[in-house]
Amino acid sequence: MRAFSYVAPDTVDATVAALRTAPPGTRILAGGTTLYDLMKLEIETPPAVVDVHRIAELDTIDAGERELVFGAGARMADVADHPVIRTAYPGLAESLWQAASQQLRNMATVGGNLLQRTRCPYFRNGTEFPCNKRDPGSGCAAVGGHDRAHALLGGSDACIATYPGDFAVMLLAFDAVVDVTGPAGERTVPLAGLHVEPGDEPTREHVLAPDELIVRIRVPATPAGRGSTYLKIRDRESYAFALAAAAVGLTVDADGTVGDCRIGLGGVATRPWRATEAEQTLIGGPLTPQTARRAGEAAFAGARSGAENGFRIELGVRTVADALRIAGERATR
Amino acid sequence: MTVADAPGTTGPPLDTRRVDAREKVTGRARYAVDRVPENVAYGAWATARIGKGRVVRVDTAAAEAVPGVRLVITRFGPDELHDVGFLMAGGHAVQSLQPLRDDRIAYRGQPVALVVADSLVAATEAAQLITAEYEEEPFTVKIGAEGAETVLQEQAIPLPFLADVKVGDAEAAFAASPVQITGTYEHPAQHAMPMEPNASVVHWEGDRLIVDDTTQNANAVRFGLATQLGIDPADVEVRSPYVGGGFGQKNAMHLHLGPIAVAARRLGRPVKMVLPRPQVFHLGAFRPNTVHQVRLGANEKGELLAAIHEVDQQTSRHDLFPSEITTVSSRLYATPAFRGEQRLVRTDVQTPGFMRSPHESPSMFAFESAMDELAYATGRDPVELRLAHDTPTDPVTGLPFSGRHLAECLRRGAARFGWDARDPEPGSMTAEDGSAVGWGVAAGCYPGGIVPVVAHLSAVADGTLTVGVGGHEFGQGLRSAVALLVARDLGVPVDTVIVRAGDTRVAPQHLTAGSWGTASALPAVQAALGELREALDVPASGDVDVAAAVRATGRPAVAVEATTLAPGQSRDDLAQLDKGVLAIGGPVYPEFVTFSWAAHFVEVRIERTTRRIRVPRVVSVVDCGRVASPVTAASQVRGGVVWGIGQALREESEVDSRFGGFLNTTLEDYPVPVNLDVQQIDVDFIDEPDLRFNPAGVKGVGEICMVGVSAAIANAVHHATGRRMRRLPIRLEHVL
Amino acid sequence: MACTVNGRDVSLDLDPRESLLDMLREQLALTGTKKGCDQGHCGACTVHVDGRRVLSCLTPAVQVAGQAVTTIEGVAGEDSGLHPLQQAFIDHDALQCGYCTPGQIMSGIACIAEGHCGSDDEIREYMSGNICRCAAYVGIVAAVRQTADAVRNGA
Repeated sequence: MRAFSYVAPDTVDATVAALRTAPPGTRILAGGTTLYDLMKLEIETPPAVVDVHRIAELDTIDAGERELVFGAGARMADVADHPVIRTAYPGLAESLWQAASQQLRNMATVGGNLLQRTRCPYFRNGTEFPCNKRDPGSGCAAVGGHDRAHALLGGSDACIATYPGDFAVMLLAFDAVVDVTGPAGERTVPLAGLHVEPGDEPTREHVLAPDELIVRIRVPATPAGRGSTYLKIRDRESYAFALAAAAVGLTVDADGTVGDCRIGLGGVATRPWRATEAEQTLIGGPLTPQTARRAGEAAFAGARSGAENGFRIELGVRTVADALRIAGERATR
Repeated sequence: MTVADAPGTTGPPLDTRRVDAREKVTGRARYAVDRVPENVAYGAWATARIGKGRVVRVDTAAAEAVPGVRLVITRFGPDELHDVGFLMAGGHAVQSLQPLRDDRIAYRGQPVALVVADSLVAATEAAQLITAEYEEEPFTVKIGAEGAETVLQEQAIPLPFLADVKVGDAEAAFAASPVQITGTYEHPAQHAMPMEPNASVVHWEGDRLIVDDTTQNANAVRFGLATQLGIDPADVEVRSPYVGGGFGQKNAMHLHLGPIAVAARRLGRPVKMVLPRPQVFHLGAFRPNTVHQVRLGANEKGELLAAIHEVDQQTSRHDLFPSEITTVSSRLYATPAFRGEQRLVRTDVQTPGFMRSPHESPSMFAFESAMDELAYATGRDPVELRLAHDTPTDPVTGLPFSGRHLAECLRRGAARFGWDARDPEPGSMTAEDGSAVGWGVAAGCYPGGIVPVVAHLSAVADGTLTVGVGGHEFGQGLRSAVALLVARDLGVPVDTVIVRAGDTRVAPQHLTAGSWGTASALPAVQAALGELREALDVPASGDVDVAAAVRATGRPAVAVEATTLAPGQSRDDLAQLDKGVLAIGGPVYPEFVTFSWAAHFVEVRIERTTRRIRVPRVVSVVDCGRVASPVTAASQVRGGVVWGIGQALREESEVDSRFGGFLNTTLEDYPVPVNLDVQQIDVDFIDEPDLRFNPAGVKGVGEICMVGVSAAIANAVHHATGRRMRRLPIRLEHVL
Repeated sequence: MACTVNGRDVSLDLDPRESLLDMLREQLALTGTKKGCDQGHCGACTVHVDGRRVLSCLTPAVQVAGQAVTTIEGVAGEDSGLHPLQQAFIDHDALQCGYCTPGQIMSGIACIAEGHCGSDDEIREYMSGNICRCAAYVGIVAAVRQTADAVRNGA
């Protein structure tokens, strides 16, 4: 690991002040589960680190009637275990407790989790592998290589690294926004606009400036919360990243017609993925095994597979269909 | 969990709990690098980033500029590090190729420089700053790929136990068989990944080298370092009392030991080195990739007429890691004709090696899958078909088995599992939630080996007994088995017995592997108990008041020693032990043949839509002779079953032919089973002593418990889906 | 950097790169906490920081300034007997080689305190961040369940 300077401001204001004078390449450290890990691997080599993980004003959870507000420093484990989240937004809770392990969820903040970086082994496991994300212009070893866990949606010739997070996928389905601050002032970024596809610039993963800090995540209250689920399919039963995951929120009218429908895809795309066309196939119609399957197929209509990951298209279709069934049961309970 | 299991004694019931559990649950157990010596320096490797070739230049300037760096070594002189040799070729090391002795790069991940620094942070940073220029050469990392070189093992390593197996004319018998089963089965490369990475602390006391190492073979470390450094083995002390898992990965001397010993001598400081987990994937043994062709010939009733098992097993370019794949497949069932052929395929990787039931579990995956295919082809019940091929004599040598209770394992397991309720039709059984249910069975066997062991036993006047014995404790329960033996024999509480193992100061420390550790140590301890009784002048059996008996001798302590050998071994074999050379007896002994046996019954459930494969229950019945330590033996079997689950459903060491080496070199990318992967595991033992094998009647348990599990899972998946799984691991895409 | 470790005040001059794991092991010689992967993949390094289980390998030591760190060496009672979960691990043989065991116990104590022991499957899920290669999982679940039940019943 490269040497770095370290400061730990007490407040958001002090953090912004520190970021204003920080050297280029400074990184914001929260739970450390991604950044410190990548610093050990020398994939991240910041000259300075601003640690925000103990800023009390960021460590808040407010499950209000109009919106849910998570301070960016709230721990994944705390949000997952929040009683209102568990009952009124089970999909949000599931997207959190099925991620990583409880130790990591006790460390990782929800703000940091949104910006979690890919687990692509060619990116992480050594400089001998060409990787445009780590070393721009070097190529992409995953294209034509072991791509079993790589993205089916949103990839480019330069990069097919999967966005690994779960929580952001469920947030995306719920139309969440993030409030960010920095030396240039405050702004609000919809989650749908936070992450970017790799295109020909895979080093750029989101729209935030290096000196911008996420301060909170806001989720508009929705009855689709109660009818939600996050279904994650993995190579082992726990403590693994998704082969395919579906984030679904539904409302179902008394006559069985789907009212609201939100579908996000996890573990299959280069960014949190909203399956808008799939949602449209269901809204206003009945939820049946057949319509659920058709929605799943619509969600993956644009999928592009490589050497080993083709099976995850069919798996993804089935995962969406199963998640719709689970969410439908919850919505009508 | 205290059981009244002390036959022949009148004392209180014996406490059968693991004797070193208290040290382990309190964190007081001291593993190799838990020592933090004054002024210790830290070592780190920089590794090669090409698939094969030669190092032209190593740039160490940036590394040397890191504050706290004391040494950067890219080349050792020929007199500084001598050849040690590969363990399986009469040497002591994990492979013959010792890094930093020449410019060869045999595979990606091989070290190109050693850094030693005042702190771990500095050593790590400096190692990361090292770059090298290479001349690259073509390489091959897969069996069957261009450049892979196949050799016939029988010709390449002319040793009797590695020869092809030939019983009758199997080809002719197969050709004439009305029912023919032919299958190609592939077992991937896998890595053992014990929780404790390879790690050591070395320091010099004058001319004596003191080594704390995590090893299953302190003798190899001792004699290997002596050879490598050109010093007297008597001047090398190796201590490894607690080993954080071995599974064969720690069977030989690791490649960092010589280099850090040189560094420690140069610096006049202790040096500690812990291999980062990704380096463990490239610097130690792994289970090689194997491709098996199995052909079974039978009549319409399913009676075996011929069995042929051919295997291609990956090895390195620079060493031959021998295959013993057909040692077990030729022993499992009565068959009039058997042919086994083992071929080794040279590829550009580090030398493969042992990983729990190294040959036996891949062998049984292939062979027991084929037996299941035969059962279906001939309409026989898979359990009944196996029972019909039971045999009291070894099909290969004609000698009797010293003990074979495989049939009882099968019958008892079938009863415990409820096998009678199985509908043999594939896909016929469904769970309430719509999951497909599959029930599978497979058997396994594992060779019964014994090595020479020296045991020291001393009794002191306060009644304490101390055993110093050859053998390493890495969780299998050697210490517990020895303590229980002494406690049972003398009728004393278990906690009065102290067992010292894994330390060259207390006894020669042979390779503890191959499930021979306890079976070899217990006879020596039993012999020492006889010596002690004589020295104490007490009857040859019955309870002993140890304190009173010692006091009666008028001495503060009484110490005895005993040495035991494998049946048929001579003092020459003991001399081998004293030279640090392997001296393994069995499984073929002059008058009998010894194997452990097991039968596994597995239920799998496959989700209706997303097709995750789960294993809700397993029943395993094991014939390991007398169960020397019931608590730790049961834990061994449960662990072995989980290893079988990992082998069948999770683990594969992936290679990318463009880059060489291994790709998934982390515990994230290499998915071993986690807690939620494991449900009900029901364990039973035959518990019949095998007294022809040794006077303690014990056979190995830690390897046999895994052998056959992966086949039972594959057979269960077939039963659930109708699809044959001829390649591991079986993942959801294979049943989607 | 100042914090408490097992109730004792600790003050160290630290390189900010150093992990809490290496600080505990190499600076304080508290070697009960183990290094299994150093990458957050195995759980062997689990300790408590202000009562919550975390991975010490992914925690820069400077981050625990002012906080209370508890390791396996600090869980026993005042009489230096065993924590009930330590005893349960012995009684259920919830270990083999012992290397992951301190991390399992630190994780298990927290799992019980968090209330994640409602069923065997919940225990399995919330203990899945601690890999045991010897695979003593059946015993681990039994030990955690027994201890959690005892706590629930006020024992």
